[in-house]
Amino acid sequence: MNLRQIVLVLKREYLTRIKSKAFILLTILLPLGMVAFIGIGIGIALWETETEHNIGIVDRTEVIYPRLEEANDQRYLSFSDTPIDTLRSMVINQELEGYIIISEENIESDKNAELVYGGSGGINLLNSIRSDLRDAIREERLDRANVSESVKDIYASRAGLDTRKLTKEGIETEDDAGFRTVIGMVMGVIIFAILLGYGGWLTRSVIEEKTSRIIEVIASSVKPIELLIGKILGVGALAITQIGIWVVAGLGLSAAAAPIAAMFVGSQVQQMNVDAEAAELATNPAMFEIPSIEASLIFYFVLFFILGYFIYSSLFAAIGSAVDSETDTQQFMFPVMIPIMISYFILFRLVEAPDSSLAVISSLVPFFSPILMVSRIAITDVPFWQIGLSIVLMIGTFFATIWLSAKIYSVGILSYGKSAGFKELWKWIKQ
Amino acid sequence: MAVIEVTNIDKSFGSTHAVNNVSFDVTKGKIFGLLGPNGAGKTTAIRMINHIIIADSGSITINGQEVSPETQSMIGYMPEERGLYKKMKVGEQLIYLAQLKGLSRQEAKEATGYWLDRFEAADWYNKEVGELSKGMSQKIQFIATIAHDPDIYIFDEPFSGLDPINSEMLKDIVIDLRDQGKTILFSTHRMEQVEQMCDEICLFNKGRAVLKGDLRDIKKSFGKNTINIEFQGDSSFLDELENVRINNRSTNFAEIRVLNGQDMQQILKTAMDHAEIFKFERIEPSLTEIFISTVGEDNINPKELA
Repeated sequence: MNLRQIVLVLKREYLTRIKSKAFILLTILLPLGMVAFIGIGIGIALWETETEHNIGIVDRTEVIYPRLEEANDQRYLSFSDTPIDTLRSMVINQELEGYIIISEENIESDKNAELVYGGSGGINLLNSIRSDLRDAIREERLDRANVSESVKDIYASRAGLDTRKLTKEGIETEDDAGFRTVIGMVMGVIIFAILLGYGGWLTRSVIEEKTSRIIEVIASSVKPIELLIGKILGVGALAITQIGIWVVAGLGLSAAAAPIAAMFVGSQVQQMNVDAEAAELATNPAMFEIPSIEASLIFYFVLFFILGYFIYSSLFAAIGSAVDSETDTQQFMFPVMIPIMISYFILFRLVEAPDSSLAVISSLVPFFSPILMVSRIAITDVPFWQIGLSIVLMIGTFFATIWLSAKIYSVGILSYGKSAGFKELWKWIKQ
Repeated sequence: MAVIEVTNIDKSFGSTHAVNNVSFDVTKGKIFGLLGPNGAGKTTAIRMINHIIIADSGSITINGQEVSPETQSMIGYMPEERGLYKKMKVGEQLIYLAQLKGLSRQEAKEATGYWLDRFEAADWYNKEVGELSKGMSQKIQFIATIAHDPDIYIFDEPFSGLDPINSEMLKDIVIDLRDQGKTILFSTHRMEQVEQMCDEICLFNKGRAVLKGDLRDIKKSFGKNTINIEFQGDSSFLDELENVRINNRSTNFAEIRVLNGQDMQQILKTAMDHAEIFKFERIEPSLTEIFISTVGEDNINPKELA
């Protein structure tokens, strides 16, 4: 292998692509797209989905309805003087969603009240009515029992749980399990996206050389393995550049945005001046302080990204060499995508229980490690032997995939006119 | 002195025996033609000489050196399947390709500038190849092949897909290069091009080299056994001739290969009875005829020689 040739290929791959419009647009638009995507997600989550359903209350006790009215005066309407038959016909005619008859029995005994309704509104509505009614009845019972204010406070209070993390060095630290879980998840998803994105890019780059028919000119100067490695490194360098740009821009933006966000939320809370808990949080500066990410985690992220990229990119390059046009890549993409997709699905289980046997075993599988091991390292303390073992396995796998790809690649790039099938690939590997 | 020495090479792809025990030498300073119908194994042999694929057995040496990445840079190779990076600028692309052949960046830049000037294409330097016309990009392709100034040039089917102007230009380049003492090997399935340009030939059929040597010697050895006849009138007499093979026939012209010592005067007499004769000439056979008589009429598909 000739290093000079590899460097030439690498440089061309990197320089022509970094100057391309596609790269520049993607670098700018992808984060904007992500922000828009997340914004839309949050928007949908916050959307007032509840259309108001009117529930008629026939309150024979005369004490429950005022409490319900206090809870939600839009929803609960007093129909205490209306005959039941009228209520029924109102429900049938959809003037009213449903009605509840509340009698003394419901307060004094454990007999449940009954909602008669048209069936729409879904589980959310039912849960909300149930909890409103439960609160109203409990408060009435407490009032009747004539208990002291302090007992009432006890009922109103909710005990919480604060956590502190004890490190191996014996230092108690602020626990940031929630934050770490988010980071673990995000890192996993980022690697997932990068493997797919840049893998696809490499495939297209190989196909481009085939369809433009320059490949044989190149092959008369460069060994296929040199070309393959040069391309993998070139696109990899491009990936690292792009991620670097995003990280720097992201850090800069968040540094600028955090104080603004704190100010904004703080002033809003002051204006409302109701929710003591929220106000307390907002005035607590720690809330807007980003917990620091350990340097070792960033190191592992980069290391696993690089190893994962090498394993998959060599396969993606082989796919490109075996087909004649981009539309034919589908049949080969599928088997390569499967392990990436599986690790993506496992990721969601893994963040909940990063030390489960599923998590440990799957994160050691070389094809899953790039996504899953990084995620585990972020969330939990992974024993060093597991990290080491996964790295060794990945390096071994990389040598296997690059050997396999080089075989396919060196034959594939010179076969024009038709896309190979799996049978041909097997023949090329055996050659 | 042989610059390319091919000795007993073999190459199979699965069950197809693409090149079967082929040997030939290319002499320094000559134009060498590799001939044969499509699928005869020419491209496979050329790829092995370029070290793009490896022979199953046998040996190939360039200037006495076994083929390797080093010998690759001694050769300027224009493959049959040609192309360039469409999104890359002409200048950068030529520099890159020359660098891959071992030139330093500075040398590559100079060579690129020189050749673009010589082809009156200096103002294309900053154009993307995708913007060029087909004829223009063919010129760029030549430059890419020759810019690193090798001693040996290999063109695989160089005239296929070329427009007439570039075709003429390439012919001139090839002859020009030969006159500078360079060695040129090219393959073609079009025999008439070989007649005009080649010094030496090697005939391929079904993976074997069936005939090789100096073109003039080969033609001489076949003797003047062919008749070129030009006439006006009824051409049906041609069908009545026996023991002949008519290779090139049109309404008032025919190339007749005389077989089995048939008397040529007899043919002339028959012709005179039927048509007015403008020209009657005894010549050496054409390469097409040589090829047919070498491999046997039954062994070729005449369409492949068109």
